[in-house]
Amino acid sequence: MIVTGAVLIYGTVDMPGWGDPDSPASRHVSPQYITEAMEKTATPNMVTAVLADYRGYDTLGETTVIFSAGMVCILLLRRKRNRHD
Amino acid sequence: MIEQSPVFIVVIPLIFACITPLIGWWKEELCYPWVIMALALSAFFSVITLNTVINTGVVHYYLGNWLPPWGIEYVIDYLNAPMPVLVSVIALLVAIYSRRSIEQEIPDKTVYFYTIFLLQVTGFLGIVITGDMFNLYVFLEIASLTGYALIAVGEEGAPLASFRYVIMGTIGASFYLLGVGYLYMATGSLNMADLAQLLPGLYGSRVVLVAFAFFMVGIAIKMALFPLHVWLPDAYTKAPSVTSALLAPLMTKVSIYVMIRILFTVFSPDFSVLRTHAADIMVWTGIVAIFAGAVMALAQTDFKRMLCYIIVAEVGYMVGGVGLANSVAMKGAILHIINDAVMTLGVFAVAGIVCYRMKSHNISDFKALFKKMPFTMAAFVVAALSMIGVPPTCGFFSKWYLIQGAVIAGSWTFVVALLVSSLINVILFFRIFEIGYVFHEGHEIQAHGDETSVIEEAPLSMLVPTMTVAAGIILIGLYNQPILTSVIRFAVPNL
Amino acid sequence: MIDFIVSKYNYWIYIVLMMIGFYAMIGKRNLIKKIIGMNIFQTATILFYVSIGCKKGGDLPILEHAHGHAEHAVAVSAYINPLPHVLMLTAIVVMVATLGVALAIAIMIYRKYNTLEEDEILEAMK
Repeated sequence: MIVTGAVLIYGTVDMPGWGDPDSPASRHVSPQYITEAMEKTATPNMVTAVLADYRGYDTLGETTVIFSAGMVCILLLRRKRNRHD
Repeated sequence: MIEQSPVFIVVIPLIFACITPLIGWWKEELCYPWVIMALALSAFFSVITLNTVINTGVVHYYLGNWLPPWGIEYVIDYLNAPMPVLVSVIALLVAIYSRRSIEQEIPDKTVYFYTIFLLQVTGFLGIVITGDMFNLYVFLEIASLTGYALIAVGEEGAPLASFRYVIMGTIGASFYLLGVGYLYMATGSLNMADLAQLLPGLYGSRVVLVAFAFFMVGIAIKMALFPLHVWLPDAYTKAPSVTSALLAPLMTKVSIYVMIRILFTVFSPDFSVLRTHAADIMVWTGIVAIFAGAVMALAQTDFKRMLCYIIVAEVGYMVGGVGLANSVAMKGAILHIINDAVMTLGVFAVAGIVCYRMKSHNISDFKALFKKMPFTMAAFVVAALSMIGVPPTCGFFSKWYLIQGAVIAGSWTFVVALLVSSLINVILFFRIFEIGYVFHEGHEIQAHGDETSVIEEAPLSMLVPTMTVAAGIILIGLYNQPILTSVIRFAVPNL
Repeated sequence: MIDFIVSKYNYWIYIVLMMIGFYAMIGKRNLIKKIIGMNIFQTATILFYVSIGCKKGGDLPILEHAHGHAEHAVAVSAYINPLPHVLMLTAIVVMVATLGVALAIAIMIYRKYNTLEEDEILEAMK
């Protein structure tokens, strides 16, 4: 466990600072999401535009996760209906 | 229709899985043909996709028609192409095999079991086909959650084994997610091909190094690589026979595919091999895993547990083969993914049949089975010979390439490990052959706790898939040259 | 050195949370404590992702009065990055589903053995 902590701290050295607008995460893919969301998807909420449109397949996967968790709970927890003794 | 086939592979089991509970409420007997139809269609589309890749090259499919890296894409290149075929065909065979076994072991919940079965196969198919890192995480979680459930409905002690698997599996998946996050922070992209272009400029950054470490550890947990394998023996032993037959061939091999993908497609071979010496670590871990798995398998009296430790050793073969990092060893490792999946399905299917008839899975249950169940035992002999590595079964050819690769790389310890483990496999399986042959005097063998049943050959719905797998083992062995030259040769990265 | 610690304080928070969760998952013997540790561990990952996407002075990524005003350009630096939020919505759902499955398995164990301490369960299984 100490190893994991040390590795995590080691990794923080090179990270971009908090709130930096020039970090690679904000420069590469997301500017296009921000500028084009309204014209291409007609949705003012950018998060919804990405969630339901650009990355809609991940949302389908997430819905499948919920569905399978529901089925799992039925499979694991349902007791037999007629318990005569 | 043909252009849409990559997405059909995943979406068809998904849609069928959502409709299965409705069919189950209407008429319970229809679930079984419904599941078979779903998996047959998925296998059909996987074969079409494989054909397309062999004839025309890499297939790119943009989901929702958004170009990557802004949208999600499915990439099917030569490493990917046999995997959906492997997963869907194995799932189809297990589904045909499953009907009698499920009726015996989980009698009142078959509808939900089949639903979760289809969802599990959806998860695996989604993992092997995607070209986007976060999409892989979503499908990895689908596969993991359904796996936890399928194991927990087993025999005595299965819920605790499944709980341990939950804890360890969640750590593995969270480490993977953390790795994706670090890579996103460093590059801003989630697409595998895009990352492969952006990362070479950033190899000096510590963030990328830490991301690599997290990926490797997370995948190693899912793959049951040696010190992190502790969830596997309990989980697969106590699970129902159908679950072991489905999960044991697939879960670890799909994780090894993910590891190869991350090592060689996202991070280039230059980084993985030269800069981080990850390859050397992998070879040593593989050697330790082979020895540990083989030695622990010798000590078991329970048949399924022994097979689980053999799986740990097989994972060691593949990880060591990838770590040797020359093209012959990579060919061997990728071929071994296919071979090991089929062999493991063979032995676990036989274990399931024995469990169905004898109601337990101890090695001493094999007494006199050679006379009573000749076809099942014939399939078992073929699968066992393949695990040992006897030509013309497929196991021989992949071991041959691995040994050649090890000799070229100069890693003699790995050669010794491979040969010693083959010898130990001989001891393990011949022990069972001896028990099966020797005790064939006249007394009736009876199942545990059941005085009146007579042991006879397995029911047809369980026997036909097992014989198909045995035939497949021999066929894949005989045809391994065409498989290598048409598909695997292009999958090996330039080393 | 101080600048290094202070400018990245969001990352230190997440590291501390993650270590707490990790210790609880592997160090504790009670099943429910392990599940809670798992939850904390996954929450720390979510916090990490969300903190990647922040920008100084940025606003939430929702365009106000946007309908009918599609002409004026959107300044990229005025809004924070929407992508990590999207990924984390999915990750939160996955976290809750895993929590549900883990608790269902814990209920199964409890019905059988009437205890949730790992040592007692292992004793009862012998």
